[in-house]
Amino acid sequence: MSVGGTPRRIDSEGKVTGVTEYPADRIPPDALVAKVVFTNQAHARLTSLDVRAAEVTPGVVAVFTAPDVPVNVYGLTLPDQPVFVGTSHTGRTDVPCDVSRWEADHLALVVAETAHAADQAAAAIVATWEPLPVLGDIDEAMAPGAPLLHPENGLGHNVYTTYNIRKGDMAAGWAAAAAVVEATYEVPYQEHAYLQPEAGMAYIDDHGRVTVEIAGQWTHEDREQIAHALDLPEDEIRVIYPAIGGAFGGREDTSLQIVLALAAWRLHQRGEHRPVGCVWSREESIVGHHKRHRGRIQARWGADAEGRITAVESEAWLDAGGYNYTSNKVLGNLHLGQGGPYEVPNAQVTSHAVYTNAVPGGAFRGFGGPQSAYVAECQMNKLAEALGLDPVEIRRRNVLRDGSIGITQTPMPDGVTIAQVVEACAAAASTPPPASPSEPFTPFATLGPAAGDLRRGRGFACAFKNVGFSFGFPERCEAEIVLHGAVGDDAPHGADLFHAGADVGQGAHTVFTQMAAEALGLPIERVHGHFSDTAITGDSGSASASRLTWMAGNAILGAAEEADKAWRNGDRPAVGKFRYVPPPTEALDPETGVCTPNFSYGYVAQAVELTVDTGTGHIRVDRVVSTHDVGRAINPDLVVAQIEGGVVQAHGYVLSEDLQVRDARIQTPRLSTYLIPGIGDGPTVIEPLILELADPIGPWGARGMAEMPMMTYAPAVVAALHDATGVWFDAFPLTPSRVLARLNESGRP
Amino acid sequence: MKYLAPKTVEEATTLLAEHPGATVFAGATDVIPQLKAGRPEPEALVDLKKISQAVSVSDEGGHWSIGAATATAKLTGNKALAAEFPGLVEAAGLIGSDQVQSRATLGGNLCNASPAADSVPAMIANGMRAVIAGPGGTRTVAVEDIPTGPGSTQLQPGEFVVSFELDHAPARTGDAYLRLIPRTEMDIAVVGAGVRITLDDAGNVASATVAIGAVAPTARRVPAAEEALVGNPINDTTLAAVAEAASAACNPIDDKRGTIAYRRQVAGVLARRAVVAAAERAAASTNGASNNGETR
Ligand SMILES: Cc1cc2nc3c(=O)[nH]c(=O)nc-3n(C[C@H](O)[C@H](O)[C@H](O)COP(=O)(O)OP(=O)(O)OC[C@H]3O[C@@H](n4cnc5c(N)ncnc54)[C@H](O)[C@@H]3O)c2cc1C
Repeated sequence: MSVGGTPRRIDSEGKVTGVTEYPADRIPPDALVAKVVFTNQAHARLTSLDVRAAEVTPGVVAVFTAPDVPVNVYGLTLPDQPVFVGTSHTGRTDVPCDVSRWEADHLALVVAETAHAADQAAAAIVATWEPLPVLGDIDEAMAPGAPLLHPENGLGHNVYTTYNIRKGDMAAGWAAAAAVVEATYEVPYQEHAYLQPEAGMAYIDDHGRVTVEIAGQWTHEDREQIAHALDLPEDEIRVIYPAIGGAFGGREDTSLQIVLALAAWRLHQRGEHRPVGCVWSREESIVGHHKRHRGRIQARWGADAEGRITAVESEAWLDAGGYNYTSNKVLGNLHLGQGGPYEVPNAQVTSHAVYTNAVPGGAFRGFGGPQSAYVAECQMNKLAEALGLDPVEIRRRNVLRDGSIGITQTPMPDGVTIAQVVEACAAAASTPPPASPSEPFTPFATLGPAAGDLRRGRGFACAFKNVGFSFGFPERCEAEIVLHGAVGDDAPHGADLFHAGADVGQGAHTVFTQMAAEALGLPIERVHGHFSDTAITGDSGSASASRLTWMAGNAILGAAEEADKAWRNGDRPAVGKFRYVPPPTEALDPETGVCTPNFSYGYVAQAVELTVDTGTGHIRVDRVVSTHDVGRAINPDLVVAQIEGGVVQAHGYVLSEDLQVRDARIQTPRLSTYLIPGIGDGPTVIEPLILELADPIGPWGARGMAEMPMMTYAPAVVAALHDATGVWFDAFPLTPSRVLARLNESGRP
Repeated sequence: MKYLAPKTVEEATTLLAEHPGATVFAGATDVIPQLKAGRPEPEALVDLKKISQAVSVSDEGGHWSIGAATATAKLTGNKALAAEFPGLVEAAGLIGSDQVQSRATLGGNLCNASPAADSVPAMIANGMRAVIAGPGGTRTVAVEDIPTGPGSTQLQPGEFVVSFELDHAPARTGDAYLRLIPRTEMDIAVVGAGVRITLDDAGNVASATVAIGAVAPTARRVPAAEEALVGNPINDTTLAAVAEAASAACNPIDDKRGTIAYRRQVAGVLARRAVVAAAERAAASTNGASNNGETR
């Protein structure tokens, strides 16, 4: 059996021995070196740009600027960003390109023989700027009279996307409430901090295609965006992903794709055929790509005396930054999560995305879900406290079940298992009982702190997260299988699998191979994968939204069936191509939000035990039970790896990662100031608990699961901290200094 | 940039006189990152690790002598030193990671003059002295007098620290160093506190040194905390006075790692905890009977 097993990862040997090539390793020694020149202006109008000195700097081959780009605008889900900020408008776009709306907007691409020459030339570029008022955050962007960052959208304000949900009768809901809890929550940025900073190279391949080798999440989408900016047909562009050093949503939008393609293409036109490579430093990476959104959510929830939710009123604002990236989509996810995974009879939910001059918000593991789950679960835990109910019991009384009508007033897809997930998590967390309350700990020194300063607490939270793209997006995933054998053979002796899906480090290619082997009844060694190259693979959709195993599995099942038909038909080789399309979804109704938002969900619950040092504000998470219904664990080891990695990433988000932004500029562009967890910082014990309650339409019953560990960690930690100290934290990260300040201010403990 | 590696103190002082633009180094765990971050290159880098006095550790001659260019891994690995001065050795063992400690030195930690240098409060608490060589010969200076501000020391051109002197601890003495960083390792101290306590036969404090780091331009003693302790037992009253004095002695900056208010409050908490730890060690110590200078 290939599915359900844990064969050795197909990428393990290369990665362990160091032969695997990541994008920077692919750049040959004779390649030209490209440097992206950032505008370094949070908000300013470019009045002149002079690159003549840069062009004549020794070793410089070319300097590309806005006039070199045929269509000087791009954007994954909304084209609102110039490829280069420039003085002269080019191409078919309404987006004014002479304004820098973000410190890391691109001004030019210098191509040189050496990195040193490229740096010298970059420093020789002369730009003059007319300063414009900097909109440092959503409050400044929404203030009356704030300048419009994107006047071209015709809206007349910087709040550029708003979603609603209007369900039931709010007055009746409040009237039925025995308890009402209300708070304003602030959620922070998070940097992806993947191991591999952005890097790539571009060249013209043997078929004359503009080819980019880079790390991304969706080859075909990268290709489409490059083709759009270069105004070339898609089949003249080729995108290849070598090994990818992490992504987490941070590679969902393009970084170097377009500028590298542009450089190779323009140089080729000038008779220069060497490849062009670029490798970002960590600082360039942190400043130069989007973040998990910061935002604010005001929530007011009511429940009756039994703890049943009677009303949810909630309004959210996300800081989208200077450009949309995927903010409008992230916002949809956040919007849907504002009522939690519960039966909500009466709801008034509003969500806004706001342009500012800060770093763009965008995709990051959970895609808006962690922000709203934090709020929903804090609200639920506060209701439990107000009503004197156990946090598990109140959830038992409210969670969605099969046949439930969701907050957008349509039935949930079959296979709603959150009740089982909550029960399993609660049961696992209650045994063994928590450790004694006075056990000293010391995260920061070799001597233990005063035991009298320690407090322990426990917290619980649960959530759902969609699998696959939502709200009417034309979801699809393609796979191709070629079976080999002689004409008289009963069964094929081997197969080739062609799939574009990105292995960002999560093991997707191993899982694809396992699923193909299972579908074909072949041993896994007989299936040879060919991945992530638009020249040979069909559109897979993105490695995101916890969708890839789920969508690829269904596509592979279809392709295997087609190939089998061809085989039985006598074709040699026997080719099966399949494009899987899941059940359709719908966009939110603008007024009421009524829609069928998603076709599948994953469910998660987490129980956290922690100790807080009330003398210093340090928190140690002693234990987290992370419970997931994965439908079917196609590869249990990889599922555990996703849970452990996701929990540690969530731990950083909640406890230590503090991206500081002042006047719309990042102050912490290094891993020495932006503190991701080290090996000693994560939870002492992570207990992954895997349930396999089939998704009726998942391949082999599988559900997506990769984002789910991020969803509930913040509210579970906050609940445990409240249990320990009696204080609620409506904002995080819970850095020692913030924790201590809040404990001081509340006079506890 | 030249690399020079003198083998004796005299050779080193001569080279430094010949190359006024030279910088000495030991582990280079500060020097190299600083060069990479864009600090101007010196004319020459003078490696102190080939000078035997600078890389040896001994307790002969009535006191400990610790080479200024000795990797701190050699200190954490020295059982006798760790038994007598656990706080000092723990401070050295907090610098970076195992990898960093295979290079990092007390001389570099002190002379880099970061206010947050971990070993410095522990060295001050233990009354350590620096033996400085230079064009005018050799002089000995208390460690606490060496740093004069962030990145600056009282060392004169051509001078460098050869070694540190550390007297054996009297009976019923214990030391401790505590530091606070947001993470568990590989981070810069937000607050550090080094304490040494000697108890009298009645269990009262006979002498005390309290030094705090990362909360002022240089590591500094807290005389008010020391006065609150001497002659008194360790109890809630004296500990509260220590905490208050340590907080009051702070003159911290607001930075990415912690606010002024936070550093001030936690300086008090750490000083208090370090006093408790040092006093417990003092009460349990067998120093003096087998371990003090005279009886050896
Ligand atoms: C990853 C990492 C983590 C770190 N973590 C910590 C930490 O947790 N705590 C901490 O305190 N520090 C930390 N540091 C800083 C550094 O490791 C320490 O300050 C270390 O003790 C410096 O010693 P060194 O021998 O490497 O100094 P060097 O880099 O060799 O020298 C530092 C400075 O001191 C001068 N100098 C060196 N030796 C002498 C001498 N004998 N006489 C006169 N001047 C001299 C040099 O000219 C230079 O200006 C860290 C550094 C890194 C790279």
